[in-house]
Amino acid sequence: VSTIEFRTSGRTVEFADGDEVNLLRTSIRYDCGVPYKCASGNCGTDRVLVERGAEHLSRIRPKERDRLGDDVDRGYRLACQTYASGDVTLSWASGSVPENERLRGRWLAGDVAAEQERRTGAE
Amino acid sequence: MELLSRDDFRAALEGAIRGREARDASFSQAWANGLLSRDHLARWAENHYHYVGPFADYLAYIYANAPDTATDAKDFLLQNMYEEEVSDVRHTDLLIRFGEACGTTRERIEDPRNMNPVTRGLQGWCYATAFREHFAVATAALVVGLESQVPSIYRRQYPVLLEKYGFSEEEAEFFELHITSDEVHGERGYQIVLDNATTPELQQRCIQVVQDGAEMRFAYTKALYDTYVAKDLDGVTLTGAEPAIA
Repeated sequence: VSTIEFRTSGRTVEFADGDEVNLLRTSIRYDCGVPYKCASGNCGTDRVLVERGAEHLSRIRPKERDRLGDDVDRGYRLACQTYASGDVTLSWASGSVPENERLRGRWLAGDVAAEQERRTGAE
Repeated sequence: MELLSRDDFRAALEGAIRGREARDASFSQAWANGLLSRDHLARWAENHYHYVGPFADYLAYIYANAPDTATDAKDFLLQNMYEEEVSDVRHTDLLIRFGEACGTTRERIEDPRNMNPVTRGLQGWCYATAFREHFAVATAALVVGLESQVPSIYRRQYPVLLEKYGFSEEEAEFFELHITSDEVHGERGYQIVLDNATTPELQQRCIQVVQDGAEMRFAYTKALYDTYVAKDLDGVTLTGAEPAIA
């Protein structure tokens, strides 16, 4: 069997050799405590540091590059976007979660456009 | 009838899908084996839109039926709706992008006259189940029975789209997105069902609708093959494509 060690919560989950398991799904199923909000790689709440076993993880997906930037090269992954096929150890910060600046910018831009449209209509 | 333990209940829910997985239906097999044309995939898009397009609508009915004390379940449903529609690119727009790459149009995809009767039946079943059943039962049907199957289907089909059918990653983003997002949605669905089906009767009803949902999705996928593909692949044997329903 292979194991995923969730170091921050002190939980370890075993899975059968030959399986590929999603990190966040595993955390949710076995109550391992990786924080999360969405399931689409947008919020970045489920950012984890891979302390051991990066070679047993699936390729880095575009959403991870988009959301994590250079932190991907420092060993960070998004748990929702990542599958394990062998032993890995993960940890995560228990503090506040940085906002997704790209999404925030898009929403703010939408708000500004809507406000401008409203004002134009009122004139 | 006794209340099942959490582990036994989960095993029963998983068992209700086993042998009925849509990934084993003939259309899925032909897809994975690189046997489909872009025309066939265009017909898939024109049908699939009418099954998944209203997914937020289905979830909204479940949301309305969930009591205000079921905060965790309601939060999940709302988050799922949000992700389908407005958190980033609308999921149906990704589906339409793929359909356009297959040669069909937004107008054809959105036109309900272009789905076959089995797709119409699946859509109707989703609406009826979401609207009429207890929220844990409806979550079992739609999230466990249907949505939780998605990663196992698309993990097989997405690489083939790039390698055999020649689509770009952008054209096939719909599939890449759902491989991961429905892992989490599916698991959250399980948790909600396990937490909220609190009587033997509710548990048995959940198990039954998961089986119904898996059969509905299998029948939908098989009908795509029968309606659009079989005439073009006469004589092709699809290994592993076992009919789950007599």
